[in-house]
Amino acid sequence: MRFQLKDILPPFLITLIILVVLEIVSTAFLPVMGIVRYRLTFYVLIILFMGFKLETPYLPVLILILSYVHSFFSIEGWAMGTLAGVLVCAIISYLRELIHFSSFILTIFVTQIFQIVWILIVSFMVYIQGGEFPYLVAKFWRFIPESIALSLFSPFFFSVLDKIWKKSGEGILRENT
Amino acid sequence: MKVLDSEQNRLKLVLNILVVVLSLYGVAKREMIYDETSQFENLLMDFFGPMQRSVTFLKRKTGSLLDYYVLNINASKENGQLRNRVDELQNKIFQLDEISKENKRLKGLLDFNTDVKGKKVLAQIVAWDASSDYKAIRINKGQADGIKLQSPVVTTKGLVGYIFRLTDNFADVLTILDANNRVDGIVSRIRSHGIIEGFSGNKCLMKYIGRTEAVILNDMVVTSGLGNIYPKGVLIGNVSRIERENYGITQYIEVTPSVEFSKLEEVIVLVSAEASKIKKEWEALDNSEEKE
Repeated sequence: MRFQLKDILPPFLITLIILVVLEIVSTAFLPVMGIVRYRLTFYVLIILFMGFKLETPYLPVLILILSYVHSFFSIEGWAMGTLAGVLVCAIISYLRELIHFSSFILTIFVTQIFQIVWILIVSFMVYIQGGEFPYLVAKFWRFIPESIALSLFSPFFFSVLDKIWKKSGEGILRENT
Repeated sequence: MKVLDSEQNRLKLVLNILVVVLSLYGVAKREMIYDETSQFENLLMDFFGPMQRSVTFLKRKTGSLLDYYVLNINASKENGQLRNRVDELQNKIFQLDEISKENKRLKGLLDFNTDVKGKKVLAQIVAWDASSDYKAIRINKGQADGIKLQSPVVTTKGLVGYIFRLTDNFADVLTILDANNRVDGIVSRIRSHGIIEGFSGNKCLMKYIGRTEAVILNDMVVTSGLGNIYPKGVLIGNVSRIERENYGITQYIEVTPSVEFSKLEEVIVLVSAEASKIKKEWEALDNSEEKE
């Protein structure tokens, strides 16, 4: 368990820089390529990685900071992402013993499952705020290709984050069966 | 309790509760009318803005060059020198052609005819919102160029949206495709009022039009001028789908915006002197609701 802030800060800063670069790619590069309808929300992937890998008490604060940085690139704001992130990571912490990433396929599958949990939480929040059902249905149809693309990308992305957080030897992701 | 058996677990629980409460408060307090940024947010958004702008700029430029040169990659060696010369000249023509097209677009925008008194600020789109749930675009003009919160944004083809968030050099435009943006509109032919709301993909819904109103396909929908944000008579789009049931009091109307958002490059921001008045009116409305 990483408890000391000095252990967390350097890799977290690098992760923030990666997030900024990916957000710029997602908001500026993809739309110019003609992909206007769909967007890859990389910060969800980073928060899921942290939920899977980091057992630090500061995790909710890290999620808050990630969501805050994401809000510079989206009018979505920080609150909804933080709430969904903290709740998803709380669920992950209870299921951690059951989650194993022995292959790429499993990594993709588990990432997809927790993205579905994420969208359910966000949709519920949007609904109780007065969001209409057709809007949620449209949101769900957008979510399917976006989440599949992110899940397919997750094994590679997690292995990069593994190196940054020096987690490869600890056997949670892509561990040997 | 096992959860509270160590210092780490207690700290984790406290931080989780604190952050959840804070974010619940943030979600509850969030309003999708406009968003005022702090100095710190201003600074960071102005820092990231140029990066988004340069990526967009680079892609557009290299895309044009790639399209042009990659297609000509099979040029024969014998004609190499001549081809290079021709390429150079054609590239120049292509660039001039692009400049000419851009000039036409910009001229068109400047000729945009509206009753709004005040200045028109020409802006380029540098990025789209990071979340596909929100249909917002970032433009390369901000407070320093005289833009104000809730200023309407248009093109020659019609309405784009309004200024939702503002920094010194950049602004976020909440487009009419966003479900949080509601525009009071009129079906031009029969003068029926309705509310235009972003729906899905590139469509909007026109709500609250009575079932007996004789709306037909391709009817033009324009802004009514109510709501204090948009000027009257700006084209929003055309009716593209109508569903009338035997029951209910309204009909289902889909509107296709006249602006082609996927090909949007430049927009014009209409800055009227009334923009600050609008903000005060919203605040007065909020205050009166709180008193009640």
